[in-house]
Amino acid sequence: MTRGLLWKVILILVVLVGFAAATIPTQDNPEPIRRGLDLKGGTHLVMRVNVGDAVRLETDQASEMLKAQAKKTNLPIPTTRRVNDTTFVATLPADTPATPYETIGKDFLPSFDTGRTPEGLMQFKMKTASQTAIERDTVAHTVETIDNRVNALGVTEPYIAPESGYRIVIQLPGVDDPARVKDIIKTTAQLQFRLVEGNPGSDAAAALASVPDNMKTEVDILPGTKEDALGRAAGIEFYAVRKTVPVTGTDLKNARVQKGQLGQPNVGFSLTPDGARKFGDLTGANVHRRLAIVLDNKVVSAPVINSQITDSGVIEGSFSAQQAADLSLVLRSGSLPASLTTLEERTVGPSLGRDSIRQGILASIIGFIALVLSVLLYYKGAGINAVLALLLNLVILLGMMAIFHATLTLPGIAGIILTLGMAIDSNVLVFERIREELRDGKTVRAAIENGFSRAFGTIIDTHMTTIISALFLFQFGTGPIKGFAVTLLIGLFASVFTAFFVSRVIFDVMYKAQDRPTEISI
Amino acid sequence: MQIFVNSKFDFVRWRFMAVGFSVLFMLGGLAMYFNHGINWGIDFAGGATVTLKFRDAVPMDRLRADLADASIQQYGKADERAVIIRLPKLKTEADYAGQTVAKLNKDLNPDSATKLDLNFQGRDGLTELLYSLDPDAKGTLPTSKDYYRNVAQNVINKRSEVGIFTAISQATSAPGVTTAVARILNEKCFLGAFNLLNQETVGPQVGAELQQKAIWAVVLSTLAMGAYLWLRFDLMFGASAIVCIVHDVLMSLAFLMMINGEFSLNIVAALLLIVGFSINDTVVMYDRVRENRRKLKTRMTLEEQLNLAMNQTLSRTILTSGSVVVVLVALILFGGKVIHEFAWILLIGVLAGTYSTVTIVPAVAIAWNNLTGRTHDLSGPATRSRVEARVETVPPPPQQRKRRVG
Repeated sequence: MTRGLLWKVILILVVLVGFAAATIPTQDNPEPIRRGLDLKGGTHLVMRVNVGDAVRLETDQASEMLKAQAKKTNLPIPTTRRVNDTTFVATLPADTPATPYETIGKDFLPSFDTGRTPEGLMQFKMKTASQTAIERDTVAHTVETIDNRVNALGVTEPYIAPESGYRIVIQLPGVDDPARVKDIIKTTAQLQFRLVEGNPGSDAAAALASVPDNMKTEVDILPGTKEDALGRAAGIEFYAVRKTVPVTGTDLKNARVQKGQLGQPNVGFSLTPDGARKFGDLTGANVHRRLAIVLDNKVVSAPVINSQITDSGVIEGSFSAQQAADLSLVLRSGSLPASLTTLEERTVGPSLGRDSIRQGILASIIGFIALVLSVLLYYKGAGINAVLALLLNLVILLGMMAIFHATLTLPGIAGIILTLGMAIDSNVLVFERIREELRDGKTVRAAIENGFSRAFGTIIDTHMTTIISALFLFQFGTGPIKGFAVTLLIGLFASVFTAFFVSRVIFDVMYKAQDRPTEISI
Repeated sequence: MQIFVNSKFDFVRWRFMAVGFSVLFMLGGLAMYFNHGINWGIDFAGGATVTLKFRDAVPMDRLRADLADASIQQYGKADERAVIIRLPKLKTEADYAGQTVAKLNKDLNPDSATKLDLNFQGRDGLTELLYSLDPDAKGTLPTSKDYYRNVAQNVINKRSEVGIFTAISQATSAPGVTTAVARILNEKCFLGAFNLLNQETVGPQVGAELQQKAIWAVVLSTLAMGAYLWLRFDLMFGASAIVCIVHDVLMSLAFLMMINGEFSLNIVAALLLIVGFSINDTVVMYDRVRENRRKLKTRMTLEEQLNLAMNQTLSRTILTSGSVVVVLVALILFGGKVIHEFAWILLIGVLAGTYSTVTIVPAVAIAWNNLTGRTHDLSGPATRSRVEARVETVPPPPQQRKRRVG
């Protein structure tokens, strides 16, 4: 063996050992080749963030700010009306000059342009740049909150990323209870503490009727769960709660599951110093009144305030153990700035994934054996060469997938086996060429030499075409299809390497040792 | 073993017959299209599917009564007791699959309001239940939760293994389940009527976008392929390659129409693969034509050049396609339901690709050559001097090289 050839053999062995090592599971890396959701089970979600919610909120807050500042400077308070998500109009009392209000707009509402409607009303329209900034922040904040919640759930290797069109892609491998996880992700979790006026009623009208007349415009009617004496859910009732929200979920420091006196689960919370002061003021001034705990516009419970409470409290309700755990989780992770709409969901249960992987692997093994047998039958000695190249190809492919953290999906298994078909093709092109050269009367060595060099261009061309289509596949694909495209691309590069380099070296080892080989098994 | 040594098939002569066959096949597909339209899968149409496995015999009547507008079909073999429920096309974005499952859960599992469904709930639900009741007296430390999570995971793994629990004793036999835990499983849990194999919802917006993306991906990759071959060879080859790709894709689509298969994301992946793979035979054949044009000294029409190249590469074509076909047949027979149609479409595409290389490609090339004044014929001696110069530059045979012994 020449020294050059020896180095080549060593290089091949190093590549073989290196990639094979990458695929061996270790303590730190129990799953070197990650399985996709279709094989492992799990949930793939595409959600749209309804950024309009956040923009609308900003517009509403701006109109409140206008009124508050007018009150502060002793100007008549205008009535305001929101026209759409980004615009509100203000109607001034008759004979009031608009100039001071425009000054307020300039000083306190920097993200709004002041103008006039055709009817002569003051119009405040949000600047496009401000709107874009709010939308961007909303999406970023949503991603962060979902990330917190998913991490709190203990999902391993989740994937959460924003996409264009205010979308968020969420992939949760191994999740076996999609309904619950979706609930946790989608819960806006806006917690509010609001004072109750009047008495709870069996319908909205009854609740409103019990409110004193001067407060009727200051309350919202919200539904809540009615509880029987044992604290179990028993139908729906309605509460009139004040529009002002003195304390919200952002004032919470922590939330956790506790056990009540009867052992029923409930959620205890503690407040930030600032929140504790606000909560103390609220409860201190309203002892013996009802305080509604409102979650996403539903009254969870409305206990009577027995004494001033400052830094901590309990949310009681008819919770199951899991509901209490989920509520404390979403409260800890903070509320979503906007609601979410599910655009796409794909969930694979763990047992289907198990079936798929078993069948996929069985089919691949059978296909592989059939491939090996036909090549050995057709090319005999050279067939061994092709099979060795094929095995190395497989090792490189799996090793690369482990190194690049590519995900193995069900179509990906088909991709692997197709790649092996392509790899065989490269060998076939070379071998057929060698046979032709032999038929033309060339010596064994010349035939091998010419076989490889003549087939080179063709092999590059066939690989290029498949690489082009794999790139389009990658660009097009979602989830499993992307995994397929990546598998295919890696396999194609591995195939060029094994066809030209490895296969050639094997021939050299087999025939270069002989001084003048006269026979070749092909 | 060798097949097709020095074969002399006159492929070119069969081209009209082949074109006729292809046209007939595609017309067949077209007729089926007019007959029942494209069976868009939910990836493109938007919609929802739910696949459930039942504990006992499938309560088909209950399902039909509950889900009046859905189509319900057996999934897999009858003894697997699984159904796939397809909900009609959606008009608005909502979580339809999830809502359907919730509805069935309420109707078929009345116990679910008070007990935990071991066939439906996941690991975390069971963990919370065990943690809150603490049968093994582990306290309220986080390590206690880890302990119960581990137990719950074992129970769920057991369920994956058997497919669906048919008796609580299967759940209590999972490793790590103590007598106390088993008592809780018996008292606070029940075995629901079904478990969830798969649930998918694709909103109308995503579906419409995917449809567009799929069409663009197939069209652009075809054009890119044509452009590459135009660069590597010439315009005639590029154009006939595009016709060849379009042919292969249409043949696969016609087949899909004939079996009324569902047009899903996987099918688009298969079509893109066909675009890249079926062209390989054509590339190999063109490479040979080009090489022969450099070497041959005789007068030769394009028809003769094509026939020669096709015969020279025939054995490789058959062998390569054959090995891929072997693999695909294995996938079809043993690969399971999920990749079944995917493998079928690929198989047809690969077969069509091989067949079009020896029929459709020459047909287009010859027609092109006739239209452009037979510029691709070899005129013989006129090109001789150039060819001879090339032959002389062939590298010396390797045995004359200096050899080092290592």
